[in-house]
Amino acid sequence: MRRGWLPLALMTTLIVALGAYSEVHSSTFLGKSNLTNLLLAAMPLVLVSMGQATALLVGGFDISVAALMTLCVVTASFTMTPSTSGPALFLGALALVGVGLATGIFNTILIRVLRLPSIVATLGTLSVLEGLSLLLRGFPQGAINTDATSTLTTTVGFLPLAFIGVVVLAVLADYWLYRSRSGLALRAVGLDPTSSRRLGMSTGRTVLLAFVVCSVMASFAGFFLAAEVQVGSPIIGNQALESIAAAVLGGASLAGGKGSFVGTMLAALFLTEINNVLPLFQQPAEYADMTIGALILLALVLYQAPEMIERGRAARRRLGLEASAS
Amino acid sequence: MSIPGPVSPDVLSIRGVSKAFGAVQALSDVSIDCRAGEIHALVGENGSGKSTLLGIASGFLAPDEGTVEIGGSRLQHHSPAAARRLGLGIAYQDYSHVLGLSVAENLYLAMAADDRPPYGRMQSWAEETLATFKLDISATTFTGSLSLAERQLLEVAKALLTRPSVLLLDEPTTALGPEEVEQFHTLVLEQAREGVGIVYVSHRLPEVLAITDRVTVLRDGVAQGTFDAASVSEEGLVALMIGRPLQVAFPERSALPEETEVVLAVSGLRGERFGPIDLVVRKGEILGIAGAEGNGQVQFLRALAGVERASGSASCDGVTYDMHSPVGPLRAGVVLLSGDRRGEALFPVLSVRANATVQVLGRLARWGVVGRARERGAINDLVQRLRVRMGSMEQPVQSLSGGNQQKVSLIRPFLRGDVQVILAEEPTQGVDVGSRFDIYEALRAKAAEGVAAIVKSSDPLELAGLCNRVVVMSRGRIVQEIPRHELGERRIVEAIVGSRVGVTTPATDGEGLLQ
Repeated sequence: MRRGWLPLALMTTLIVALGAYSEVHSSTFLGKSNLTNLLLAAMPLVLVSMGQATALLVGGFDISVAALMTLCVVTASFTMTPSTSGPALFLGALALVGVGLATGIFNTILIRVLRLPSIVATLGTLSVLEGLSLLLRGFPQGAINTDATSTLTTTVGFLPLAFIGVVVLAVLADYWLYRSRSGLALRAVGLDPTSSRRLGMSTGRTVLLAFVVCSVMASFAGFFLAAEVQVGSPIIGNQALESIAAAVLGGASLAGGKGSFVGTMLAALFLTEINNVLPLFQQPAEYADMTIGALILLALVLYQAPEMIERGRAARRRLGLEASAS
Repeated sequence: MSIPGPVSPDVLSIRGVSKAFGAVQALSDVSIDCRAGEIHALVGENGSGKSTLLGIASGFLAPDEGTVEIGGSRLQHHSPAAARRLGLGIAYQDYSHVLGLSVAENLYLAMAADDRPPYGRMQSWAEETLATFKLDISATTFTGSLSLAERQLLEVAKALLTRPSVLLLDEPTTALGPEEVEQFHTLVLEQAREGVGIVYVSHRLPEVLAITDRVTVLRDGVAQGTFDAASVSEEGLVALMIGRPLQVAFPERSALPEETEVVLAVSGLRGERFGPIDLVVRKGEILGIAGAEGNGQVQFLRALAGVERASGSASCDGVTYDMHSPVGPLRAGVVLLSGDRRGEALFPVLSVRANATVQVLGRLARWGVVGRARERGAINDLVQRLRVRMGSMEQPVQSLSGGNQQKVSLIRPFLRGDVQVILAEEPTQGVDVGSRFDIYEALRAKAAEGVAAIVKSSDPLELAGLCNRVVVMSRGRIVQEIPRHELGERRIVEAIVGSRVGVTTPATDGEGLLQ
């Protein structure tokens, strides 16, 4: 738990440092509209990364989230057209969540029933969903209801309401993860499925839950993506790897059982911030990619350092190498 | 089934249970019961089905046939949670700890969901619990940093947490020292006096017979009968544990000259699960390593080959070699035949040819190019000599039978020519009887050339037939050495179970068991 603070501290520091640097070099960064834009632009990645963190917690990956987000945007262009209103619009929004639910269940069937490794299973789902999107919309067309999308982007001062909601959600989710029975059970299943099963936990249900949550979060992310593009684009979603990057930078372990929703949210915010400030310096986007890659490697080394030092010490103690150095 | 029994009713009743894993029949039609307040020992050799039976009793495995009744109620849904609800507690041989969580969290998860204290009280509750079990462990420690003995005791504490009416203990003392074993047995007897029915799985007969009421013997997945502990001798139990009708032929053992020179000398070698070990192996000698599974035999062998961390030293032909990686041992001529054929010893998808020649490609290459004809020429004789049965040399090695796969990995030491020591881990596991003979013959042939071999095997019959000398390991140390003229299957099994019957050479180490 003590180590759990490292990702949070690192991400906060990086966000503030990059923000301060940008403000010094170009005073537009802290402008109200830029901050609001930044937070709104971060919403899809924040939501999908928090979902991804859930999948990582049970020791899985979900590559299909990007295609799922696209499919949600495409679905919105059918079910949430500018002419729909009232209950029909609500049902149209529900359809997006339905798409997410179905995908989550489909993924779990592949992983639990057919015993496919999650990375391969969701890669398959990714292709299926991508094809489906292109089938429904061969090219970007079909306007999305702006009444609905503007509700999503309501702000209080410079803070989007949705962002406040997501912060509250992340804090609650972390509290649940580290301060509740079911949170403990989830982490146990991610850390050691065999022992968890021996201890009487239903590992299958836990994995189902995690992948459904992941997909539903991706469909929420789809709403915000739809609000951003406002048209049924079949090639818009590409956040699969970025969402894994955010979850890992936020403290998730690829082996499962570790992670933080607040950390993930901060990391997603930071990754968006990098993309946001580059135009201020007139730097090409390639630098953003390289920076993100380098940061992920750096973070992985940094997060693992305490554990590796501890493990080395323990091994030395057990072997008694200090006593009888050979 | 709820007829009120005379004094102590059955708290666990397993009827006609069968279970197969693939082609291997692990259990066939086994029945066993345990009364309230009884300590019921379950004994048998490695692989006789003890752990499988416990797995079925605890709901972790579903039987193919048969029923499990706990406290008079049938276990309908085969899940550990259901068994726990009916009053069953189990301490697994390889534990049920989530190593990445703290001791307190592990204890918490071991409680049935309804009986857990509020989450916020977990820490203080765990401390109280540890104190009740007289465990000197901090509740905040990560389970992964506990010693093996501490993990074992914690596992038992977890099994007792739910106040079970049946307690299953699977080899609960493998990591414990003599004093701890005594303390542990006091705890077990206490539980029995309170009316808990205990099924105690162990291979250490004297340890177990001292505290049990009844004993059931398993052999090759078949129950050999249940006996009153008072009326049965260790000797009789050993006979039941072995009693195998099938005899495997062994090639003639060449008479080993009394004092050949030492090839491998090990001094003070210790690793995470074994040591310190001192040992010498002579030219042309085949040394067997016996012991119940999990007593450090594998780790010791692997440390010699540089694939397991260890301190201390080993020398081959008088030259100390570097054991930090497999490179040092290989240069010195020490070769490991891993027991994990598919995972470590072979490249499953590569051809027989490629698998055989992989270590000597440099020699077979001309201008850096390996000629297939030259490769085939090099192994042609060996393939025939070892009687590798295959369609062609280009066949992927994974399409061969287990025995023929093992022969392919045995070609390597023949091909290298510079091998001094062969370390063989379970050389005939999963190997048919015909191929076994070929493998024994190949090892013998290498020994006749002056190569030393160390064979780790869980089959006492094999060790007795193949080796010139056998050492028995227990809790990571060599506790007995059986010379050539005493070698026999029964002699080895007796040494493994720590029995005092028969001819007993003084233990090389003062482990309490043997005193």
